[in-house]
Amino acid sequence: MSDINRLPAPFGRLIDRSSRVTFDFEGRRIEGFKGDTIASALCANDQWMISRSFKYHRPRGVLTMAGQDANTLVQLPQEPNCLADKYPAEDGLKVKAQNYFGSFDSDMARVVELAHRFLPVGFYYKTFHEKKKSWKFWEPIVRAMTGLGAIDPKADFHHSYYDKKYLFADVAVIGGGPAGLAAARAAAESGAEVVLIDENAALGGSLGYARFDADGKRAPTLLNDLVAAAEGNARISVMTGAICSGFFTDNWLPVIKGNRFYKLRAKSVVVATGSIEQPAVFRNNDLPGVMMASAAQRLIHLYGVRPGRRAVILAANDDAYGAALDLLDAGVEVAAIADLRAAGSLSPLAARVKSRGVAVRVGHGVSEATYASKTHISGAVLAPVAGEGRFAAGGMSVACDLILMSVGFSPAGQLLHHAGAKFGYCPQSHMFHPTELPAGTHAAGSVNNAYDLDAVLTDGRRAGLLAARDAGLGVGEVPPAPAEKGNVGRTHPWPIFPHPRGFDFVDFDEDLKYHDLINGIADGYDNVELLKRYSTVGMGPSQGRHSAVTSVRIVSRETGADIGRMNVTTQRPPYTPEKFGHLAGRVFDPERRTAMHHRHLELGAQMMPAGIWWRPGYYGARQERDAAIVREVKAVRENVGLIDVSTLGGLDVRGPDAAEFLNRMYTFSYTKQPVGRSRYVLMTDNAGVVTDDGVACRFNDEHFYVTATTSGVDSVYRQMLFWNAQWRLDVDVANVTAAYAGVNIAGPKSRQVLQKLCTDTDLSPAGFPYMGVRMATVAGIPARLMRVGFVGELGYEIHVPASYGEALWDALMEAGKAEGIRPFGVEAQRVLRLEKGHIIVSQDTDGLTNVWEADMPWALAKTKPFFVGGRSTEIMAKAKLARKLVGFTLKSAGDPCPEECHLVLKGEEIVGRVTSAVRSPSLGKVVGLAYVAGGDAEPGREFDIKIGGGKRITGVVTKYPFYDPDNKRQEM
Amino acid sequence: MKIMNCPLNGPRNISEFVWGGEVKPMPDPASVDDRTWAAWLFLENNEAGVVREWWCHVPTSFWFIAERNTVTDEILRTYAAGDVFNTRVEFAPKAAENK
Amino acid sequence: MSTIAPVSLKRRSFIYRLLAAEGAQFGEINGGAVPLHFGAGREVELAAARRLALADLSVLPHVGFKGKGTVEWLTAQGLTIGPDSNKAYRQAGGELAARLAPTEIFLIDSLAGTGALIGRLGSAWKWAESAPRPAQGYPTPRQDSHAWFMVAGEFAPEMFAKICGVDLRRDRFAEGAIAQTSMAKMSAIVIRADRQGRDGRVNAAYHVLADIASAEYLWSCLMDAAAEFDGRPVGLLALQDLEQ
Repeated sequence: MSDINRLPAPFGRLIDRSSRVTFDFEGRRIEGFKGDTIASALCANDQWMISRSFKYHRPRGVLTMAGQDANTLVQLPQEPNCLADKYPAEDGLKVKAQNYFGSFDSDMARVVELAHRFLPVGFYYKTFHEKKKSWKFWEPIVRAMTGLGAIDPKADFHHSYYDKKYLFADVAVIGGGPAGLAAARAAAESGAEVVLIDENAALGGSLGYARFDADGKRAPTLLNDLVAAAEGNARISVMTGAICSGFFTDNWLPVIKGNRFYKLRAKSVVVATGSIEQPAVFRNNDLPGVMMASAAQRLIHLYGVRPGRRAVILAANDDAYGAALDLLDAGVEVAAIADLRAAGSLSPLAARVKSRGVAVRVGHGVSEATYASKTHISGAVLAPVAGEGRFAAGGMSVACDLILMSVGFSPAGQLLHHAGAKFGYCPQSHMFHPTELPAGTHAAGSVNNAYDLDAVLTDGRRAGLLAARDAGLGVGEVPPAPAEKGNVGRTHPWPIFPHPRGFDFVDFDEDLKYHDLINGIADGYDNVELLKRYSTVGMGPSQGRHSAVTSVRIVSRETGADIGRMNVTTQRPPYTPEKFGHLAGRVFDPERRTAMHHRHLELGAQMMPAGIWWRPGYYGARQERDAAIVREVKAVRENVGLIDVSTLGGLDVRGPDAAEFLNRMYTFSYTKQPVGRSRYVLMTDNAGVVTDDGVACRFNDEHFYVTATTSGVDSVYRQMLFWNAQWRLDVDVANVTAAYAGVNIAGPKSRQVLQKLCTDTDLSPAGFPYMGVRMATVAGIPARLMRVGFVGELGYEIHVPASYGEALWDALMEAGKAEGIRPFGVEAQRVLRLEKGHIIVSQDTDGLTNVWEADMPWALAKTKPFFVGGRSTEIMAKAKLARKLVGFTLKSAGDPCPEECHLVLKGEEIVGRVTSAVRSPSLGKVVGLAYVAGGDAEPGREFDIKIGGGKRITGVVTKYPFYDPDNKRQEM
Repeated sequence: MKIMNCPLNGPRNISEFVWGGEVKPMPDPASVDDRTWAAWLFLENNEAGVVREWWCHVPTSFWFIAERNTVTDEILRTYAAGDVFNTRVEFAPKAAENK
Repeated sequence: MSTIAPVSLKRRSFIYRLLAAEGAQFGEINGGAVPLHFGAGREVELAAARRLALADLSVLPHVGFKGKGTVEWLTAQGLTIGPDSNKAYRQAGGELAARLAPTEIFLIDSLAGTGALIGRLGSAWKWAESAPRPAQGYPTPRQDSHAWFMVAGEFAPEMFAKICGVDLRRDRFAEGAIAQTSMAKMSAIVIRADRQGRDGRVNAAYHVLADIASAEYLWSCLMDAAAEFDGRPVGLLALQDLEQ
């Protein structure tokens, strides 16, 4: 016995009977067809219970067959919480149910009883709000009882390839039912490029499964025509199996299809997402065998699955009679129709049903589903309606294995909510509907309160034309909104029949019963938003799709509030769960590499990030880090070293106002700077905070090449353009950072090495003195040469066009072979500069450091009219100096070297911090920079440093440079 | 994601832009008193309504001005900075001593 | 042009290692090594260039000019530059003058890479001896600030849609149009520059100019995005064949 419930063709629009699939469900072999979902295959195999419920572990089966409910969440080995009524049945799947202890089929009563007592409404509020310690007791119980699927860390996870893609459209149509198809066609015929999105496997929406006439002829014909027109239109691109999960500003729509996350930008949007069939509330309305009428119709028409053998239909609209005809056609016996309406139905559908001998009980409802087995219903109790939500005595039991609920609809308005639409309650149709839409957004079909098929088609066409017009296309006459929408009589205002013995569910996801809501309101949470948070109604995976409207009705009745002035709780994106893989997509994490990057790797460098650049930290094995750094420091101090400084920022500032511009951007004065020389630059922001530094090299009177820090250059460049957008000086600024590769060749023998490669420039101390700059040729490559002293030795920075960078490096390493040239990294450079007492902006300064605190008043030009930050610097000169950056050594040579950010204390008060410190290989002692209290900055003053483990050591303020204080070596 | 219309590059995702603060004229640093300077520097109006703001299109480093309604987050108009700042700015030499 | 090793020349593309690993055979242009083909056979690479292909043109001549007087000076040098920004203007020798802003031009050579025009401009532009100097713009080192790739083939727009938020489809992004935008989260300049064959066949092609320091990153992103459409690297010869 396998798929005994399979119906013959033409039932089963979506399945391919020529292609079998078999998979495993809880150890049972399930046979289905390609095109089946897991749930449809299970139903075909007479496996009706699919999972257990979240809280009470009640058996649950198909409810909507539309991926709209949490009843069918199943566990796959690599993925929890899969919607079984959406997830395609595939060969070899291993499917397990969720939320059960021991055996899936085990007795539910015990669990139910247990949970029922332990988990009253507002359980979390009541238990944890005031009695915080009780969490300890409850946590293991709650964790074991509740929750959804599990992630198995031992499962063979394959990291799939997820990515993202932009999509563009004039008009996006969301929902491929009759309204969406009509809208897409109208928009496309107006010349719009349309993207039509539907979350189902095939277009057509209700045309694919619902019955609109007694013969059941109209829908299939219309479906074929509309789909053929859409698919045959070159301007319409159809995306099925694609979920639009949100609606963001300026028509920005995330669409998930397979492993791809599309970012769709449309000029206008038609939302034709349809409506969601609503359940009735009665006892045991959650058990397998009770489902929406539309779910049964989907099983029959889409998957060719007989939804049961003997059915009872709970009706409050004429659609119920269409479903009855479908059941009869599929060979299901219809034992009775209980129509809640006193008058029943006068539609041709009802007439046809009656003519086929079905008993219709008007003014009746289902008061209870009954069950003999533990996993499926076996009967319904029908009772006469006595009043709103009440039955008269005299119920009658009817044996059945299927109860269909056909009592009303609610618009699938989530995306419209995201877009900012306003909704209101329509007292005639007893439904919420959109009352106000944002510009460029249109709604059509049942989401817009239109149900009659002709009205839906008109509504869709109208929306399509309006959307095309919004997209800037000329359209002809736009038809008026349909006058008769067929929305009245579709939805019952009170399909809620609480039962004295309970289990009358309002929210299937969260296992909330009618009285849970009543109790919540009685506890004082008498507003839908509050009640949601207190009771968790609508907070499960289906996000209130079937419980939100019922809750509003209950709150309205209990509190006497006018439902006409109420609304469902706020809907926020995403509309369906999004996987992390979708959100992550491909990881776009740009990184920058210098021209010599691969040379560093070949030399065994340990690379370190500097912003998004990679720089060599040091050369050698990780476990020999300290030794490597010392080796590199020694090479520079005693011999010759080579460091890649390509990441250093570079800006060409050119024009008649170049010097004036630098005067305004930096603290120093540049007007009189000689050509062929460099000068320090220090930048402050408007508040006088130090933000960057570097040097300005003057190559001619109108051309400065200004360096900036690796991490600061982009913002320096942006600030320069920002200010000159206002000043309008005659100057051009170009960020040439990446265009130049740079090295610093430093050490006593650097001149000797460079001379071998640079013959067109006088490198002698007199011909090219310290702080000089030259345009020269090095190894046949045009270069900008600078004599700078960051590391405190004779040295040259050589900047060449980036494409030549690697060739320059190769030439220098080769030329320096005889001298034993050694590459050095950022770590050695940090030691070298600290020995020289050079600050690093953003390491030795922070977001508040001003010129006075950094002890750099020497960098201020006193007489110029203006520089950015000048006015603030002036004001702060008058304030008491709270802290000051000083050089320091340690009083006791045996103390450990402090680390960056170790605190400087005065008594118990924090007055500053260490910004840099190192045990200097050149000096044999600890040297560093630290902020101390403003009044304690005199050389010789002692201060406390709190190092690791809370130990205090004593620092002594010391003049710097620590190394070669007379700067003889760099000026050689 | 919002769209902003760059005067140089046309409509683009807002992620291509950075905000540069409100457009507010700087008081003359040579003559302004400390308190007024500090107020210009640190106090913002947080206007509920239409404000003029600096925005920069990052891929081109192009600065321009946008008029935006802070209540509706609607961008009403964007234009090149040169439409407003069209003459060379000079700073007066320093006053002898700021009192 | 015989096959050479990129390291035998001083000017090197930042991605020559990636290209060599894909089997590139290089020839010398402009003092650097440019991939001529990848050994797949001329027809295969031409077919790829019609479907989807990436080429590295980074060592071919390209340069920038910007600042006051740029367009006037270039016009005086014989260039034809139209009034609109974000549009590329084709020159007599096949070069493209991409007007990035009213006073900014990014000039890229034709695929022949002779450097005739760019070389001439390089010699012509000189600092005047002393102020006041004429407004003639300033050269910018685009040769070295920007890697230069070409993406060719009919699937190029679809591939771009995976890494770039601007609609680059052919009916929305005209020949000669420029987008200065974000691509794979870095700034990039895209120029549509179709290759027209002698038979009149128009082959889709785009120049991509972006930060040279991120060249390896961007090339890898493009290759990843292109894989779905069987995109592959091709050499200069395949691009030139598009114009046969």
